[in-house]
Amino acid sequence: MSACTDYQVTRRRLLKMFSASILGMPVSQLLAQAVPGKGRAEHVILFWNSGGMSHLDTWDPKPGRKVQGEFAPIKTSVSGMEISEIFPQLAKQMHHAALVRSIAGTNGDHGRAQYELQTGFGQTPNILHPGLGSIVVSEREPLGDLPAFVSISGQAARAGYLGQQCEAYFVGRPGEKDPYLAFPEGISHARGMQRLQILERMNARTSGNVGANDMKATETALKDAVALMESPALKAFELDEETPQTIERYGNTEFGRGALLARRLVEKGVRFVQVNRGGFDNHGNIFQAMRDHGAVMDSGIASLLSDLKANGMLEKTLVIVLSEFGRTPRINDAGGRDHWAACFGCMMAGGGIKGGSIIGASDADGMEPAERSVKVPDLHATICHALGIDLDKEVITAQGRPMRLVRKEASPIRELFG
Amino acid sequence: MRTYPRTISLLSVSGILAIPLPALAAGPDFAAQIQPILELNCVRCHNGEKDKGGLRMDTLAGLLEGGDTKEAIVPGDPDKSELLVRLHLRPIDEGVMPDEGQALTKEEVGLLEAWVRAGALWPEGVVLTQRTPPPLKRVALPEKAPASPVEAAAMLDDILKRENASAPVVTTDPIADEAFLRRATIDLIGRIPTMAEIRDYEGQGNGRREKLVAKLLNYPRFNDRWTVFMADMLRIRSNIPGGNQLLAYIHGSIEQEKPYDVLVRELIAASGRANSNPAVGYLLGDDVNPMELASSSAQVFLGVRIGCAMCHDHPFDDWRQKDFYHFAAYFGKTRKVQGRQDGMVYTTEADDMAVLWPPEDKAAGKTREPVTPRFPFKLAKPGATPDHLLRLEKLRSGEQQVASSEKDAAALDALLDGVEPAVGSPRDPVLEEAERESRALDVHGDIYRASVLREELSKLITDPHNDYFAQAFVNRVWAELIGRGFVEPLDNFSAYNPPRNPSALEFLSREFIASGYDFRHLIRIITLSDTYRRASLPAATPVVQREESEKSFTAAPTRRMIGEVLFDSVVVAGHLADFKWPQGANEKQVSREIQVPTGEMEVGSPAAEMKEATAAPAMRGDGYDLESTLKLDFDAILTKQERGELESMRAMSDEQIEAEKMAAMNKDAQGNTMKFTTRTVTETVDDNPRFDSAMHMATPAPPAHFLRVFGQPERAGLGEFRDTSSSLRQQLMMLNGRMTHEASRVGPLEPLHRILQKDHDLAIEHAYLEILTRRPVSEELAEARALLAADPFEGMADLRWALLNSHEFRFLP
Repeated sequence: MSACTDYQVTRRRLLKMFSASILGMPVSQLLAQAVPGKGRAEHVILFWNSGGMSHLDTWDPKPGRKVQGEFAPIKTSVSGMEISEIFPQLAKQMHHAALVRSIAGTNGDHGRAQYELQTGFGQTPNILHPGLGSIVVSEREPLGDLPAFVSISGQAARAGYLGQQCEAYFVGRPGEKDPYLAFPEGISHARGMQRLQILERMNARTSGNVGANDMKATETALKDAVALMESPALKAFELDEETPQTIERYGNTEFGRGALLARRLVEKGVRFVQVNRGGFDNHGNIFQAMRDHGAVMDSGIASLLSDLKANGMLEKTLVIVLSEFGRTPRINDAGGRDHWAACFGCMMAGGGIKGGSIIGASDADGMEPAERSVKVPDLHATICHALGIDLDKEVITAQGRPMRLVRKEASPIRELFG
Repeated sequence: MRTYPRTISLLSVSGILAIPLPALAAGPDFAAQIQPILELNCVRCHNGEKDKGGLRMDTLAGLLEGGDTKEAIVPGDPDKSELLVRLHLRPIDEGVMPDEGQALTKEEVGLLEAWVRAGALWPEGVVLTQRTPPPLKRVALPEKAPASPVEAAAMLDDILKRENASAPVVTTDPIADEAFLRRATIDLIGRIPTMAEIRDYEGQGNGRREKLVAKLLNYPRFNDRWTVFMADMLRIRSNIPGGNQLLAYIHGSIEQEKPYDVLVRELIAASGRANSNPAVGYLLGDDVNPMELASSSAQVFLGVRIGCAMCHDHPFDDWRQKDFYHFAAYFGKTRKVQGRQDGMVYTTEADDMAVLWPPEDKAAGKTREPVTPRFPFKLAKPGATPDHLLRLEKLRSGEQQVASSEKDAAALDALLDGVEPAVGSPRDPVLEEAERESRALDVHGDIYRASVLREELSKLITDPHNDYFAQAFVNRVWAELIGRGFVEPLDNFSAYNPPRNPSALEFLSREFIASGYDFRHLIRIITLSDTYRRASLPAATPVVQREESEKSFTAAPTRRMIGEVLFDSVVVAGHLADFKWPQGANEKQVSREIQVPTGEMEVGSPAAEMKEATAAPAMRGDGYDLESTLKLDFDAILTKQERGELESMRAMSDEQIEAEKMAAMNKDAQGNTMKFTTRTVTETVDDNPRFDSAMHMATPAPPAHFLRVFGQPERAGLGEFRDTSSSLRQQLMMLNGRMTHEASRVGPLEPLHRILQKDHDLAIEHAYLEILTRRPVSEELAEARALLAADPFEGMADLRWALLNSHEFRFLP
């Protein structure tokens, strides 16, 4: 597997820039200095909750206020931290997790807000910003044979100017066999390998005729594809190896299987896994909907956290539960809540996050951030920071435009890290 | 060419000098030598208002303080000066400066280096200001109008040759004639040539390239292929109101050979409902937002990114925010209305609406006044009418005389068409009365009012005196056929981003105008030129030489087929457009795992959540669905139907389209919203697939679909181009996809089956011709023979599979 080509360009640039000082210093040492090892996270699992998940009914309950609605807050494993009753199992894992309760979003439109939350930038013409996963693929070297970025049960944000090679590998349904990872039915492995040999000879004959990077990149992608097909790590995509009890423990739902698959993938070196789920645009009947959401999500996320902790992966795996905005601190006539971007929250765990912390606070009714307002680009910077990604990194797009991966004015929530 | 006196000959040895020599204080003269370089190349982006990278280069203090990275200059030490480090990077390196426009010449870099070495002397208090670049260097265009497209093509080649006379380029030979057949067929009709087409071409004598181009321009597939081009350009999306109608309308317009200027006028001036006037899809695409429409109209039709001035004066150009507002005012009265009863969307004009100035964020304490529409682009009106415009006038003199009253009545008919009840249903007398009344109304007074302002704008934009209009389009078509534009990015025409070959661009644009904006004529000239036939440079060519040659069009950039073309080419090569097996020949028992709903709802699974999520839509895409195409019937879309049905097609998100597709394929989409258990089912299937063209499906394809994986743009934002980079996913889809697999298998109903039983060598040649449009060389033939030895049919499948996966198949010759 190879990372995006930009990675190589970056190295070349670094070498150039530091050309005065590299004499006598090994390149590896130079690179280590150039990318400061700030974060401890090596992997990310992002639970993307599409539609705008109510902050009041999840991370930021307002007991005693009229806006609270049906749910009572429950105590968690962290003293003083309460979350909604829809997450009873997760509540017992909160000593691993941090809550951010003061995200100040700016956009109440699904599409635009999703774009901003996943890329850290507002939607503007003439440029397509890469999503978090693509940035991670671009900036962190791959580990193992599996694609570095996998999106489960839906699409992640696009790779934008980072190019196709930084797009997510797409898994339609967790646990289901991906037909593209093996030779077509009826073609035995031996025959498939023989075909590849024929192909290799053919390509070798033409490789001198037509040059340019396009063809080299195609060649690399071909090698990567074959390596992936041959990799024993592919087993990670299958859930058969897990006991029925484990699958049940995660909740035998698409979401639960997605969470389980996410764990299996990071164990095999996948850098970024996004597990997608929708159904949060609850303009009506929100409490029933959220109760159902809780029933599906609770066991999946809680089991994931405890398993990651048990096998030592949690320290280097940042788990995030995020949505594009929150919902109105007012219950509408249909028993629902509408879009609310001015204040919402998210949960983060692992990857060097200080468990049990609460960042920021909303006002009495969850209308506006009251303390430590966190802007969306700050959240983006926080995730990049956790992974040790250079926040000042600039890449040149195919159109020749220099672009920062993280907004200049963004700063990470440093107090989240130990 | 800008030249500066070479005062310092020591420059060439500067790298060797171990210590700075302050004694050489007599560096270049600031005012005469340094200031012009900085003002022409640097200050535009690095000044007091616009400090890209945090750097100002208009003052010495700015340079000393530096940008985000480090200080830009260290007086006396060029090696430590970031400015010079950046200037020395190669054009392909990251961080090279200037990152837009022309690179500095060696002499210029040398002068800056000497100036820094000499201590970077800067006269007290001088603040630099941006200089407009000097006018473009042009060569003379032919005085006589070309008598034929072939002559025009020759003139074009000649102009390019003269323009490139002093450029450091390599000119490659033209590709062979059979490679031309492949290249032109792929470019013009979006697939590789068939055996019959190869034979036909081989049988032709002199002038066969010209005949081929003429033939291809008349293929129905030409309309399909270039609809894809226009759909990229106009960002046509099936999932927004009017999207499919606009797509069908564009397809029809290309089919009818509608002149490009007429097409654009129809798009800009359109009003009403997409059902009766599909061109209105253009306005609906930007949600009838004046700002967005101004931005996209300028960028798409004129190649000018004036939209950057929406929020601020254009950072790299001379557009002011006020210019943009004047321009946007043409769209200011147009309003999107959604019918209360039927939810249908249409546009109309509202007198009480206008674009206001100053902008909201700068309006504190001021009254915002309506802005008058004003066209910010200069129309070149020379004293004598240029020849190409005389030719246009002559061409059109006969066609133009449509009575305006007739035209208005026709326009009103178009606007009211949707009101007519479906054929066969009884006429509603009340409706008839209403219809009569509205027909009696003035066009401009009706509910679906036409826009006077946009009508005026459409004329200004397409005015033959408006150089931007033809040039922007010619540049796009050129890039599609040659691999890169005269101006890159294609939609960024600016004095600061000059074309490499301005005269060639101007010549082609004039010919395009003179032909009556005939799209096919333009393509004919380009494809008949020697320039179009250039070969690519070999792999070993030094990077800079390659870049220079490709930029000057003396060598062809490597081009991969776009996704749609690759898809259709596999279909053609593998005879998949029709059944290639007798019915029942491939019946087999297939076991597969399916997920069965348990009856318990699982909320929130992606399929359940279809209304929202435009940015990160979910799609199931299990199995091989990612290679399926669902054909849209363009004719049916344009046939005015009952209200509602088509309109309900419009607002489909990717997921809905996908869900409909699933339903169409008897997939259990409902199961997705349930808790499920996995069961294994066994069923008998007759594995005899057919594949439709990828050019008729809803567009863009769902995410993760074959077409998207091969770079089909999302078409959500302006300035998004085809992504031609390669990925692992692309390889997996080609190596293991069902389409490639089926294309490789030799079916009894395809000619190869018969040939293979008779003569292996002939069969091998047939396969090479069908897939690579060429015969095998002896080495290839020998290799293929060995493959066929054991089992000819399986061996042939292996050979075809490898050919379809080869670089040679995917990249244009």
